[in-house]
Amino acid sequence: MNDGDRVSLRERIAVWLIAHRLSIGILFAAATAFFAVGIPHVELRTVFSDLLPRDDPFVQVFKDHPDFGNPLTMLVMVRCKDGSIYNRETLDKVWRLTRDIDLAPAVNHDQIVSIASSKARYAEAKPYGIDMRPLMGDHPPQTDEEIALLRERTRMAPMVARFLVSEDERATILSAQFIEHRLEYGETFEYMQALIESARDDRHEIHLAGYPALTGWVYRYEAQMLAIFALTIAALITALALRMRHVAGVIVPIAIAAMAAVWAVGLVGWLGISIEPLLMIVPLLLIARSFSHGVQLTERYVDIYAQVRDKRRAAELTMSVMMVPGLTSILTDVVGIIVVAVAPIDAMVRHAIFCGMWALWLIPAGVVWAPMLLSILPTPKVAVHRDMTKTLPRLLRGVGELVTGRRVRWTGIAVAAGAALVVLFAQKIEIGNPVEGSNLLHANSEFNVAVRKINNDFPGVNTLELILEAKRPELADWTAQQVDTVLTMTALQQKMEASGAPPRASLSYADYLAETSRIFNGGNTRWLPLDPDQRAISAAAVGSMMGTSAANFGHVISDDLQHATVSLWYADNRQSTVDTALAAARDAVLAVGIDHPEFRVRLGSGVIALQEAVNRVVQRYHWIVLALLNLAMVLMGSLAYRSWVAGFLLLVPVNLSNWALLSTMYALGIGLDVNSTIVAAIGIGVGIDYGIYLLSRICEEYGATNGDWKAAICASLATTGSAIAFTATVMALGILPWYFLSGLKFVADMGLLLVVIMGINMLLSLVVLPLLVFQLKPTFVSRATVIDTPRMGQHDPRIE
Amino acid sequence: MHIRRFDRGYTRRKFLADASRGVLATGVLAPLWDVLAAEGEMTSAYPDELLSLDAYTQGRIKTGDEIHAGNVEFVKDLLEPIRYEQILNQGRRLKTTRTTTDLMRLSPWEYIEATLSNRGKARFDERGNVVTADGQPWIGGNPFPDPKTGLELFAAQTLSWGRHDSSFYAFEVQDVDVSGKVNFDYAGGWAELHPVARVSLSPKPYWEKHKDKLRFQSVFFLEPHQYRGTSFLNIWPYDHKTFPQLYGYIPEFRRIRQHPTDQRFEPLLPGTTMYLSDAWAAGDPLNTWGNYRIVGRGPFLAAISDGWNPDEADWRHGTHGGPKGDSFWDTTVELVPEAIVVEAEPTMFPRAPISKKRVWFDARNQVVIGMVTYDRRGQPFRSFDGAYSLYERGDKKVMDGAHPYWSWTHVIASDIQSGGITRLQQVRQLENSHFSGANQDDLYDRYLTQSALLRLGGA
Repeated sequence: MNDGDRVSLRERIAVWLIAHRLSIGILFAAATAFFAVGIPHVELRTVFSDLLPRDDPFVQVFKDHPDFGNPLTMLVMVRCKDGSIYNRETLDKVWRLTRDIDLAPAVNHDQIVSIASSKARYAEAKPYGIDMRPLMGDHPPQTDEEIALLRERTRMAPMVARFLVSEDERATILSAQFIEHRLEYGETFEYMQALIESARDDRHEIHLAGYPALTGWVYRYEAQMLAIFALTIAALITALALRMRHVAGVIVPIAIAAMAAVWAVGLVGWLGISIEPLLMIVPLLLIARSFSHGVQLTERYVDIYAQVRDKRRAAELTMSVMMVPGLTSILTDVVGIIVVAVAPIDAMVRHAIFCGMWALWLIPAGVVWAPMLLSILPTPKVAVHRDMTKTLPRLLRGVGELVTGRRVRWTGIAVAAGAALVVLFAQKIEIGNPVEGSNLLHANSEFNVAVRKINNDFPGVNTLELILEAKRPELADWTAQQVDTVLTMTALQQKMEASGAPPRASLSYADYLAETSRIFNGGNTRWLPLDPDQRAISAAAVGSMMGTSAANFGHVISDDLQHATVSLWYADNRQSTVDTALAAARDAVLAVGIDHPEFRVRLGSGVIALQEAVNRVVQRYHWIVLALLNLAMVLMGSLAYRSWVAGFLLLVPVNLSNWALLSTMYALGIGLDVNSTIVAAIGIGVGIDYGIYLLSRICEEYGATNGDWKAAICASLATTGSAIAFTATVMALGILPWYFLSGLKFVADMGLLLVVIMGINMLLSLVVLPLLVFQLKPTFVSRATVIDTPRMGQHDPRIE
Repeated sequence: MHIRRFDRGYTRRKFLADASRGVLATGVLAPLWDVLAAEGEMTSAYPDELLSLDAYTQGRIKTGDEIHAGNVEFVKDLLEPIRYEQILNQGRRLKTTRTTTDLMRLSPWEYIEATLSNRGKARFDERGNVVTADGQPWIGGNPFPDPKTGLELFAAQTLSWGRHDSSFYAFEVQDVDVSGKVNFDYAGGWAELHPVARVSLSPKPYWEKHKDKLRFQSVFFLEPHQYRGTSFLNIWPYDHKTFPQLYGYIPEFRRIRQHPTDQRFEPLLPGTTMYLSDAWAAGDPLNTWGNYRIVGRGPFLAAISDGWNPDEADWRHGTHGGPKGDSFWDTTVELVPEAIVVEAEPTMFPRAPISKKRVWFDARNQVVIGMVTYDRRGQPFRSFDGAYSLYERGDKKVMDGAHPYWSWTHVIASDIQSGGITRLQQVRQLENSHFSGANQDDLYDRYLTQSALLRLGGA
């Protein structure tokens, strides 16, 4: 089979499809209806644990013991701006907040702790027994004596003093745990947020933190995302209308986008896969891609129609000529999206299925259906957008001069120097993007500010959990209160506190047992050390739970008293802190021994360990993802142009743009993380489209200009280059508002990085690729029939 | 005979009309306690529709059938919300049996006799304590068998939980979490003794030395081994507003310690879903709660008979339902023709996590047959539903003096919000030295003194 046969095969397919457009249209309508039925089943849901790498040992510890680290606890910090909390107004506020938190939806009524709750107690050994009472009486203190008494009692309760009242006595914490299966994060968060907002006044700062609050913020911003989504779609359509100015030019891109969207969303509805709202920017990018593909297609249709003056014939030729670049570019998009699924992160896998299929649906929608639609829509006026694009083609012809004219050597030197620089700077990029609080939100977001404030005044939220996991939790003999377990907890705490990077606080069940032992033995601190004897430790365990519930110790032991954790608090989650904490923890765990007869020590869980897990997965997979993408792109590029040179040629600008992105991130002080891995992959997958479209046009123009490299390149830049510039602008329009408007840093960062990489991609495709083609003059370009349609024959008259 | 005038609509109308007039007159066709006093049973006080589940459900559920998720809608009005939810969504099932009509099978014999003979002699004094006409502590039986207020019903319940002068319950407790896993398994003994209102034990009606006290009550544990010998002793003053004294003993510490007892919304044991306040639906001194009010009357499904399991040597009960088939006791219920629904609020507990409790009393014997507490948002929170029985089936029986033993058999305490369930059951004996029963002479010395705690701790 020769090239001419292949062209004719494409054309024959196109002719057949257009001839059967009615039946195919009905088929597509039926499929669309089928997928539309699945749409109501779609669930938008963020599962935070699904953003973690499932194969990481730390994540496995976290998933085996999800209750440690207080995942269902909200913290409210009340800080008195002008002095100690020990005044009537502040204490009254704390009392009311405590009672109002009890009214929160899904709150565990037994797990609300503050200095005003009955759970915060002081214990005093008296001659007649143990006086174990709430710090506060049955009402907020009203007199100076009552306030002084409360302060005195708080000081008598070391655990309370450490975790509920700041050292300077200007702040206090209220904590509330929620019941997981009843918790509607959005509803509860809105209640709590309204509560603290109404409690703020001139004298009091009030902050809300904790995992359910973070989820609440994300849900609130996700609702906001819908508005941004609508706004950006409107912007895209406006840009489209301004650019195209004819019915077909507006309807076709929208129709492509709508059909692919319905199919993609309906499919996940049918499959029962939830959509991750945090990655919603990718569907928006796909809508922009649908538009840009529609624009490329329609513009080509307009060009061809100008020559053949027959709608049906123009549609056949458009379908035929756009088949290879269309298919190739869409397939590269698909690969760019799905390749991140190699990383063992469940959210990525779901994202790959949802968005990968969405991209794939652009083939029937964009390659098959759109030309059919063009054949029945009103005839476009050919000259419509010429005036609109006068400046751009002129500019791009200037670029053509730069890469093919007299100054080409200097352009080459400048590009080589720029490439060397970006590669050099990209090497300095760091893994991880730590934000105190959550990386999902901006550093100055209300939540992250709350976390910082709490971390300043209290042990805070940056914990590392060393888990003592029972080997036989089904046994009646509670492992968490066995001698070996309790002594191991104590040893771990001692070793960590004596390490070179001691935590700012540590806590384990052993601390409670020691305090119980002291109280029950008469109150003298000499009774604090526990006897290494099972009867003594069991007695302390029984005593610690007298008149209380095991759930009250849920932060240090499991509800069934089998597993335990040693919690270590750190001042921040900077990478250096994470590294030293983990190094010290590894030494401590090795020193006490990992494997014990009834339990094993597992490192670890908590913010510190999970952050490290995410960093590790980025470190492991960022380059794997890029390597796989390069491989796929080389294969697809080579196949499309039937030339390895073409495959490698296409890779140069996209890889350069990736290095440029990393350099930019380094310059902006942003580290590599999950977002940037997704962006880099999409950047290559989508960015290579520019090269494909441009290279195809160069092949086409090379034939039309009788092998004049300079003319072919300049003409390609002025036509396809112009469309590339427009599509890049369209995508920037679709994505950039997310950076400015989204309250979610995760989404905003993705938006910014996508715009940056798309911009760099565009620039490099328009400069580096033609430069390389001009310098190398590859032979595959001369096989014009690879892409071109010989019967269309002539180059665009508008270029003259 | 079915009298159409007294159909289900009549019953409903009667209950509603009485409620709207603020009238509490038990019995539908005739005053209940007059009928019971005269006839010893209550058939003539109620129409058929209130004496037979078949009639009530118009044949949809027959006596002997099981109530399950598929048919619970037919009896939704006969259940409190938490049992309904458990049947509908958690696999709980209830076996049904005939309505008990014989008064003497509904409480201890001596208690009923005292109730009948002391009828009309009780009143509240100025401190709100139940006293006789001459201001002395109550003398035995139910002080308000024909109650007119919610307070009277609660007063009777608080005065005598177990309805014996003294009782010892060998018990087992299992705590089941939301996943259906049994996390805690306790075994121990519960002892209670009344120094006042005595009807069986001498001296009667008062043990003069302790006439100022309402009850002595202790609990000790034999299992799990960590808890072995741990014990608590409560001494309740007769004053209905004063919290009891609480003493605790952990053998290893070798000293009895006194603990504060005003924190009633805490469990006694780790893992249990039962507050101290929830015990017997009246775990606190009577007047620490307030705003007692009758909010409804009507038929109800409750475990009043057939709850004893003599087929098992130690009377243990089977379980079913929940994620692992281990969440609920196998329970037999009957149609209670008239339950009186009373609400109360924790007026002396400004930090209580609940807004009110709603308690169902059987109008025939005024035992608690159901309790639901509501959180401060008004959502159902916890429940306490027990089973009672005369310990007699065919030729098998357990005697309490001259008559068969009457007592509770098992209890399910649920936290419908967290999903936790605590199951308690009364067993025949523990370790061949602690036997369930009533009115034993040596109970005080064995279980209800500080030296008894020390002795039990050394066991």
